[in-house]
Amino acid sequence: MELSDANLQTLTEYLKKTLDPDPAIRRPAEKFLESVEGNQNYPLLLLTLLEKSQDNVIKVCASVTFKNYIKRNWRIVEDEPNKICEADRVAIKANIVHLMLSSPEQIQKQLSDAISIIGREDFPQKWPDLLTEMVNRFQSGDFHVINGVLRTAHSLFKRYRHEFKSNELWTEIKLVLDAFALPLTNLFKATIELCSTHANDASALRILFSSLILISKLFYSLNFQDLPEFFEDNMETWMNNFHTLLTLDNKLLQTDDEEEAGLLELLKSQICDNAALYAQKYDEEFQRYLPRFVTAIWNLLVTTGQEVKYDLLVSNAIQFLASVCERPHYKNLFEDQNTLTSICEKVVVPNMEFRAADEEAFEDNSEEYIRRDLEGSDIDTRRRAACDLVRGLCKFFEGPVTGIFSGYVNSMLQEYAKNPSVNWKHKDAAIYLVTSLASKAQTQKHGITQANELVNLTEFFVNHILPDLKSANVNEFPVLKADGIKYIMIFRNQVPKEHLLVSIPLLINHLQAESIVVHTYAAHALERLFTMRGPNNATLFTAAEIAPFVEILLTNLFKALTLPGSSENEYIMKAIMRSFSLLQEAIIPYIPTLITQLTQKLLAVSKNPSKPHFNHYMFEAICLSIRITCKANPAAVVNFEEALFLVFTEILQNDVQEFIPYVFQVMSLLLETHKNDIPSSYMALFPHLLQPVLWERTGNIPALVRLLQAFLERGSNTIASAAADKIPGLLGVFQKLIASKANDHQGFYLLNSIIEHMPPESVDQYRKQIFILLFQRLQNSKTTKFIKSFLVFINLYCIKYGALALQEIFDGIQPKMFGMVLEKIIIPEIQKVSGNVEKKICAVGITKLLTECPPMMDTEYTKLWGIHGPL
Amino acid sequence: MPTLDAPEERRRKFKYRGKDVSLRRQQRMAVSLELRKAKKDEQTLKRRNITSFCPDTPSEKPAKGVAVSLTLGEIIKGVNSSDPVLCFQATQTARKMLSQEKNPPLRLVIEAGLIPRMVEFLKSSLYPCLQFEAAWALTNIASGTSEQTRAVVEGGAIRPLIELLSSSNVAVCEQAVWALGNIAGDGPEFRDNVITSNAIPHLLALISPTLPITFLRNITWTLSNLCRNKNPYPCDTAVKQILPALLHLLQHQDSEVLSDACWALSYLTDGSNKRIGQVVDTGVLPRLVVLMTSSELNVLTPSLRTVGNIVTGTDEQTQMAIDAGMLNVLPQLLQHNKPSIQKEAAWALSNVAAGPCHHIQQLLAYDILPPLVALLKNGEFKVQKEAVWTVANFATGATMDQLIQLVHSGVLEPLVNLLTAPDVKIVLIILDVISCILQAAEKWSEKENLCLLIEELGGIDRIEALQLHENRQIGQSALNIIEKHFGEEEDENQTLLSQVIDQDYEFIDCECLAKK
Repeated sequence: MELSDANLQTLTEYLKKTLDPDPAIRRPAEKFLESVEGNQNYPLLLLTLLEKSQDNVIKVCASVTFKNYIKRNWRIVEDEPNKICEADRVAIKANIVHLMLSSPEQIQKQLSDAISIIGREDFPQKWPDLLTEMVNRFQSGDFHVINGVLRTAHSLFKRYRHEFKSNELWTEIKLVLDAFALPLTNLFKATIELCSTHANDASALRILFSSLILISKLFYSLNFQDLPEFFEDNMETWMNNFHTLLTLDNKLLQTDDEEEAGLLELLKSQICDNAALYAQKYDEEFQRYLPRFVTAIWNLLVTTGQEVKYDLLVSNAIQFLASVCERPHYKNLFEDQNTLTSICEKVVVPNMEFRAADEEAFEDNSEEYIRRDLEGSDIDTRRRAACDLVRGLCKFFEGPVTGIFSGYVNSMLQEYAKNPSVNWKHKDAAIYLVTSLASKAQTQKHGITQANELVNLTEFFVNHILPDLKSANVNEFPVLKADGIKYIMIFRNQVPKEHLLVSIPLLINHLQAESIVVHTYAAHALERLFTMRGPNNATLFTAAEIAPFVEILLTNLFKALTLPGSSENEYIMKAIMRSFSLLQEAIIPYIPTLITQLTQKLLAVSKNPSKPHFNHYMFEAICLSIRITCKANPAAVVNFEEALFLVFTEILQNDVQEFIPYVFQVMSLLLETHKNDIPSSYMALFPHLLQPVLWERTGNIPALVRLLQAFLERGSNTIASAAADKIPGLLGVFQKLIASKANDHQGFYLLNSIIEHMPPESVDQYRKQIFILLFQRLQNSKTTKFIKSFLVFINLYCIKYGALALQEIFDGIQPKMFGMVLEKIIIPEIQKVSGNVEKKICAVGITKLLTECPPMMDTEYTKLWGIHGPL
Repeated sequence: MPTLDAPEERRRKFKYRGKDVSLRRQQRMAVSLELRKAKKDEQTLKRRNITSFCPDTPSEKPAKGVAVSLTLGEIIKGVNSSDPVLCFQATQTARKMLSQEKNPPLRLVIEAGLIPRMVEFLKSSLYPCLQFEAAWALTNIASGTSEQTRAVVEGGAIRPLIELLSSSNVAVCEQAVWALGNIAGDGPEFRDNVITSNAIPHLLALISPTLPITFLRNITWTLSNLCRNKNPYPCDTAVKQILPALLHLLQHQDSEVLSDACWALSYLTDGSNKRIGQVVDTGVLPRLVVLMTSSELNVLTPSLRTVGNIVTGTDEQTQMAIDAGMLNVLPQLLQHNKPSIQKEAAWALSNVAAGPCHHIQQLLAYDILPPLVALLKNGEFKVQKEAVWTVANFATGATMDQLIQLVHSGVLEPLVNLLTAPDVKIVLIILDVISCILQAAEKWSEKENLCLLIEELGGIDRIEALQLHENRQIGQSALNIIEKHFGEEEDENQTLLSQVIDQDYEFIDCECLAKK
């Protein structure tokens, strides 16, 4: 490929086609480009186009194509051909920095990415001029160019933040420091000076602040691995300027946007990160600057508003204070009562307030709200940061902090009492404050596990939580309702049982609330309460204690599933399952309605299964209904079959993949419940279960195996007499399963059931073949898991058919084979068998082998007695 | 004066018996580069003589009353004259210039070509004052950069300086010792030049009970420089010659003598197990352990360093250090008010913890865990790092019982807190430790409680966040822990069905299926 106008023209045409929406045009063009990209000069043609093409679209397209080309081809992989010829490599490296810096922003970004990809491979050894070339541009005074350089440097150096220390890495960093640290420092100082000379020029300031942000990021990268000598020597310059920038404000840089962080916020946020890095890693050297930063950051917090755009800055700044205040030697910076009060009042409390954005999420995006609030995915939020600060302060100042906040809690509650409908947010903040103050440790399973003893949780519960939940209108102040329910949920181990019992009907009542958050929380709280354990590991609440509410509980739970937005609410379904499990026989009277509702739900969601957890709990609930009912009245199994089989058939016919394994498992359960011989309805299904296509989906295998086991357990005689022609198919399944390392244990489950339940004569003719298959697998790939299953099987065989039969079948395959199996497998490996039942089977089997097998006594097998005994 | 011996470098030997021993050890060994400023608490390599050490040196007499002030040109003229008095005056002026506190003109003096003449003067045994001034001037030139030391060596100074060790003039003799110390301190090449020129026997012969203390200090320091530096190490013969003298010096009361003797031993133990063996076999350990209790930082630092080096050796060598009582002293040192001492002590501890489980048992017997956990909680970051290594070594080598004690000591809380530390290696090691403990907990059926504890400490949130870490190894480690130990919440005995979640039909709980 020559660098000719004709080639440029051709390339332009093809690039144009790659943008065509019609795949028939686009795809061939893409294919063509890929087919020629191995030619020399191809990348240079692209570079020429992105620089000189008349068409802006082609310029951008060429730059993107170029970047992708570099991404795919630049790396030289060992033992693979070099995909870019050396001359092109040299030419690219010689031109790309200049090109990047002189291009408009859209193209600059692509080239900057390409440079960092190349840099990752070639820098520093194979691209020695890069640093000097970049540093020289600092002199240009053109901040468009300078920012391009800084951005490229950032993409090259940011890996220093997450790579492991190595000789290679540190050599590179040293090289970068030698060439870059001083010019960067000078640029930093010069830029700050320019900021004050251009203090009234908004557009100049924006460019300069972009530079400062990048410089601060570079500072972080270069200082991450260790404190470089240069930066230790120049700490004064950097830290003084960082400090000044933290306290700086300029009207021209403030943005109107409420959501997006502006340049000032981004810069200050990065400076907080830099200060936090030094405070944590280089404490000794940074110590004398730290108090100033604490003050500056704290002032920053006091003066920063509630808008979302400040969130990152605020949470970074609070986290900085939180990390400093729990260190013993900085304790003194916080211990003054006025300081503490001021931090509590001006930093913590304001950031705990429920904001408009939170309110929006509560109403319109409840799923996300619940995830954040309940499951703790709120790491970067202000509230979380404020909570962390409270916890940090409590490490040394639990008493005073609790005292200060108690005052606030009281005054906020008073504000609320004055005019609840206007001031409800004050109460929300009060509850949040109490929660964060009281909770020292928390788990999903138990809620709060360690609480601040200075907070009276029960009193607060009785005085401020219960009244809200007792109010007749479940839809009033939904946020406060949700707060109250959450309070019960997380402090369930602190609040005495009698109070919890009082709240159960209230929670049941709130299942009817319109707000998704409120009825979800109510369901979740009930579910959590029902799993609590009391003495003797029994559930804390007995079925008798809940009995008075059974009907309303079940009614409201199912009704909640009909509320808008909650038709597949996993919390509600889990609460249903949990209620069944706790109530046991108490639900039997309601089973007809319950099972109808569950099957209807099943039918509805099987059209488009989308909530795996919901579905799982739904099937659990179905199983529980069957278990509980049939335990009391086994004959009822027929009723369940009537109710369910229709839906099951539909699921199987429509091949609803997500549900098929569940269906098989429910059927197993139903079949196992039958006391007599296998019903004919099941036998009709039997041949279908052996169809290979069902077994191709690995997700089906465990459930299918379980179902076949149930067939064998209940219907072995029927199979032997009425479906003997299906036995080879059954063994075919076994054969397929043991061939796979992942499923061989399932194959053994099946085989063991066959051996245990089938009449011996019905499988007689296959026995030798079974053993041969097992040997083949042993020879091909012998894994520990396989051997363990194999040992359980041969011992089961020994128990069922006798020790002599075992010896004979081995030796019938090949003389002396039994001795080999004993010596090479049974004796050395038997101790690896795990599981109680499995061990028992082996113990009995081996005992029989030792005592009931004459050849063990008096042939050459006798010598094996000398080998260390297996048991 | 900055030193070349960076803390990380001495640590090229570090025991870590984790799952990928070779790799870990290599990584600890590989990095000998430093980004940091050299440490202030290391021993100096070279020293300039700024003020004379004894008031009535021979030089004072002729100099008395004669205020000499010469230009560089005059000095050059002076040293090249045949008049010993002029030579003396010129040399002394040069020496004074070289002794000025700020910016001594080392380069100027070398460029003026004065060195060869000064080396000549070393040999003028008739004029001890001249010898003294020349030796002093050369001492100060040799205290400069490597290049400047090289100029002195290439000027042929070593042999005449060694000759001067036999001088009857104490001041001359002492200055020669000093000069040789500066030369040897430059690096292995010149150190070996001094050794092969047979300096050691002469130096050792000088040691006597009546020697002035300053002189003895100089000898000890020079000896320590002869033990110093690697690539290559000083030869066996030299080490064997010096060791008995060091043992003898180690009995002295003077803290500077003790300090330099300990530094010498620390250099000798910084290497292969064979080299450690040479030192340990002299029976010096009990004395070193006593010195580890010294209130003088300059004695404590190198004695602790030496013992720390020794426990990088074989299990037997480590056992000897334990027998000598090092574990009696370490708990106090972990609580020393100097972070650098805490760090050094934690480092020594980490290497004991890397030993067999009966060494770990010793750590428990000496109740080392409480101060270790305190450091993990509140130490400076560099100290916390060493403490994390210690815990990692402990955890990977511990028996089940020992591991339980580790968990009960409260180690998890600070470990979990450090998961957000800005240091990728440390984060990865902590993940390894957590995974190792969780795995063990499975065996003692405490996993559920341990998982709850980790959750209470905020560990799950942190580990979950680390799954997205840009460092792939960390991301993978975190993911493995979450998947393996913090998967779906288990419902006690109530789950009837295997859970079928997502498209890959992962069966989370197959127990109920394996009912046979």
